[in-house]
Amino acid sequence: MNIDLLVPLFAAAVVSGTPLLYATLGELCTEKTGVLNLGVEGVMLVGCLAAFVTARLTGSPWLAFAAAGLAGGLFASLHGVVCLLFQGNQVVSGLALTLLGTGLANYLGTGLVGQAAPGFAPLPIPGLAGIPVLGPILFAHDPLVYLSYLLPPLFWLFFTKTRPGLHLRAAGEFPGAATAAGLNAVACRWVGVVAGGFFMGLGGAYLSLAYTHLWTNNLTAGRGWIAVALVIFAFWRPGRAAFGAYLFGGIMALQLRLQAAGTTLPSSLLLMLPYVLTVAVLVFSAGRRRTAPAPAALGVNIEPPA
Amino acid sequence: MRIIVLCIMLLVAPTACLSLAAERELKVGFIYVSPVGDAGWSHAHEQARQAIEALDGVSTSYVEAVAEGPDSERVIQTMARKRFDLIFATSFGYMDSMLKVARQFPNTVFMHCSGFKTAANMGNYFGRIYQPRYLSGMVAGAMSKTGVLGYVAAFPIPEVIRGINAFTLGARSVNPQATVRVVWTKTWYDPAKEKEAAKSLLDVGADVIAQHQDSPGPQEAAQERGVYSIGYNTDMSRFAPKAHLTAPVWNWTPYYRQVVEQVQKGTWKPSSDWPGLAEGVVDLAPFGPMVPPAVRERVQAKRAEIVAGRERIFTGPIADQAGTVRIPAGAVAADQELLGMNWFVQGVVGTTE
Amino acid sequence: MLRVVRRPASPGWRGALVVSGSALLALAGSLLLLGVQGVSPLAGLKVLVLGAFGSAWAIEDCLLKAIPLFLCSLGVAVAFRLQIWNIGAEGQFALGAIGATWVALSLPGLPKVVLLPLMITAACLAGGLWGLIPAILRQRLGASEIIVTLMGNYIAILLLEFLVYGVWKDPSGFPMTPAFADAALLGTIGSTSVNWGLVHCLVLGAAVWVLFRFSRFGYELRACGDNVRAARYAGLPYDRLALLVMVLGGALAGWAGCIEASASLGRLQPSIMAGYGYTAIVVAWLARLSPLYIGLSAFLLAALRVGVEHLQLDLQVPAAFGSIIEGLILLTVLAGSFFLTYRLVPARRP
Repeated sequence: MNIDLLVPLFAAAVVSGTPLLYATLGELCTEKTGVLNLGVEGVMLVGCLAAFVTARLTGSPWLAFAAAGLAGGLFASLHGVVCLLFQGNQVVSGLALTLLGTGLANYLGTGLVGQAAPGFAPLPIPGLAGIPVLGPILFAHDPLVYLSYLLPPLFWLFFTKTRPGLHLRAAGEFPGAATAAGLNAVACRWVGVVAGGFFMGLGGAYLSLAYTHLWTNNLTAGRGWIAVALVIFAFWRPGRAAFGAYLFGGIMALQLRLQAAGTTLPSSLLLMLPYVLTVAVLVFSAGRRRTAPAPAALGVNIEPPA
Repeated sequence: MRIIVLCIMLLVAPTACLSLAAERELKVGFIYVSPVGDAGWSHAHEQARQAIEALDGVSTSYVEAVAEGPDSERVIQTMARKRFDLIFATSFGYMDSMLKVARQFPNTVFMHCSGFKTAANMGNYFGRIYQPRYLSGMVAGAMSKTGVLGYVAAFPIPEVIRGINAFTLGARSVNPQATVRVVWTKTWYDPAKEKEAAKSLLDVGADVIAQHQDSPGPQEAAQERGVYSIGYNTDMSRFAPKAHLTAPVWNWTPYYRQVVEQVQKGTWKPSSDWPGLAEGVVDLAPFGPMVPPAVRERVQAKRAEIVAGRERIFTGPIADQAGTVRIPAGAVAADQELLGMNWFVQGVVGTTE
Repeated sequence: MLRVVRRPASPGWRGALVVSGSALLALAGSLLLLGVQGVSPLAGLKVLVLGAFGSAWAIEDCLLKAIPLFLCSLGVAVAFRLQIWNIGAEGQFALGAIGATWVALSLPGLPKVVLLPLMITAACLAGGLWGLIPAILRQRLGASEIIVTLMGNYIAILLLEFLVYGVWKDPSGFPMTPAFADAALLGTIGSTSVNWGLVHCLVLGAAVWVLFRFSRFGYELRACGDNVRAARYAGLPYDRLALLVMVLGGALAGWAGCIEASASLGRLQPSIMAGYGYTAIVVAWLARLSPLYIGLSAFLLAALRVGVEHLQLDLQVPAAFGSIIEGLILLTVLAGSFFLTYRLVPARRP
């Protein structure tokens, strides 16, 4: 592999990893407040469709992008209703959300398969895009990618340096103590769920607005699940989440590029790479740190006051 | 008096019965493997179905996105039970299921697309899409500056491999040094993956992208990079007006009309039909504005030869990737050979797995 | 204002009431959604019900679909009881089919009475292995079984494709194995279209129920419940149980894969995957993880699938509608179960 092939590969990794990044940060946001939302795939697809429909109706990709976030937040609030209001099991509720979300999006989007929508085109940043190697890898993409660069540092700032961020984390680590200290832990979790859903929706929107300008059933193709795994891989830290997203984006791009380069490996085996890597990553990250960095109350509902 | 009335009734009755029989509509059912909205495979069948629906004495219905396997058997069975007279199943994976059901319903006519099994009441059919693929290969070969053509392909099954081979033969007839690089996506329609696959081919130097996929993802990739592309199934130029050179397209209407008429008249017999350009079941989409007249003329001339039966495309000597001659000089590959094709011709870079 | 109060343990009938009520609510909601496609909800209901139950062959279709669902759900339910989230039934199903195919293709000359049990054994071993791996990773390394089993699903399907496009490819060149010999085919019961898998289900269901009620393993399972730490303090072998339930679940799903390959298809091809592993989760949850009710739950969800097919055929409703119903049912049952554990009382002013 020479530099001629590596630079496009890394550039493809960034593009391919961007929807993963949005979705992973969304799930990270939700999990930090102690709620496990396995419905990422469903929320992403709902956002994806919402973006596509809005873009076709209004002709404005930015409006569509925002609409996707809103749709994602709204849809994820179902998870909030079931788990935060009705004490439903978080794991099963998330699975139900995936079923419902993918079903709903595929159903409503049936008539739109095969249509195109106005979306984002690559917008190289003048000057920066000309830097050798780094230029094409980082600065020759569409605006949504540039936006996503800002998110990991913002998330880090929010969750470690701001009071609201610390409150949200408290709801995920010690909801009982947080409540005793006067915090409304359930409200914090609501914020986590809806805001998380917002970013998951944005991740889905990327697929129908920028990655392609098309819609089809199951456009997300399992990316939501990889996002859930990436949160674990990232040890619930935004910076590492970005690294993970680009790594996986790269793997997904690599398998196709290996074929294009003329490998004789069977394509089925190559396509296994992202999934095998996910398992490997879990195994190694779990093995190395004995103390779990997961929010202590993750997945555990807050009992209503007796 | 009564005798006169009786005679009139005896004369009128048979004609009345005949017209009643003619008024009973032919129920035709279609089973699609993907949603009809895709600009692709199922969409092409659906367009033909709508044309058939407009015929006299015919009513149609369809089920889309039917998974191959046990589910399809149930769907076909249900259609047969609902007294459909003629059922079309438009994907290879429906073959065994259709055969099973055909045995249970001897009065229904079953037509299977892209398979090879028949029964007393079941026939199969396909289209020689490889003919326009050859022509599109000629266009691609003529328009490419690097001589590297990229092919985004779905599954390593004979029809796809055959298409790639025809495309390559066509490209090499215009540029003997042309190579075709293949990437398998293992999906029929996933625009994101298909577009990524196209980009990976563009990154290794391809400057024309062709596809055996149902979504216009690869077309988008080509347009974004400012290179050319060949569509598939239907005219995909609206997705990539600056890139789309042409596309091999399906037109099932004439064939479906023919089968429906045969069943209506009672003249249908089971057979393995494989119509092509001459019968109008496959064709080449209109050329994009960027294709120069010299190329158009050359391709049209070749098209005429195919229609006249003078050009058979898989005429030897044709060697595979390793150099072994698979079709000897002067021989023409038989249909059976083509239907089971699982090797690539020289000029193709890629695996068949 | 209302206050939430915990209930004492509720009788079983209340559970059935809540589940049924919630499911019906979800069904009604979904049917209303049909209006978006311009289809009348009442017409949809009619087609759904008649399609699933309206004739003898409809019932047979439901039974046929219920067989693999039942076995997968059984496995999922056992694991879920220990709060081990086995989402890998789909992959375990695929491995089972692969195992059975390997035997069927390698030993075609054997008589049916030897071959079929061998196929089932291979399927159970393969499926069990696919359940064991995430269990071990979970135990030794704390790796989330949710992710590992899910990834296992994708890997298993790709493995199936790899085999079917490669070493096991049919000479015709199409992506499927050669047809199994007659001795490898699980036949149908009498003149119906239902295969002997139904009997397998009855036997296995009864066996698991007996296991639950009367064996030490079953006792320990029930005792562990949803509090792992308490279970460990009580001296229960939680770790060993965790491994066992995952292997059992994998083996059952593998058995289902063998039945589908042998009875429904007569060969192995990628289209054997029909999402049974995911629907099994809905089935198991609806049955409140009880082997006694899984049979009913599996039949009803199979009937739903059959009904949705008829909706497609008669009213051109898109196939995705089935997922909507399944997802809504699960959500409403989850929400409704709130009323099994809690009660709303008027808040007394201090």
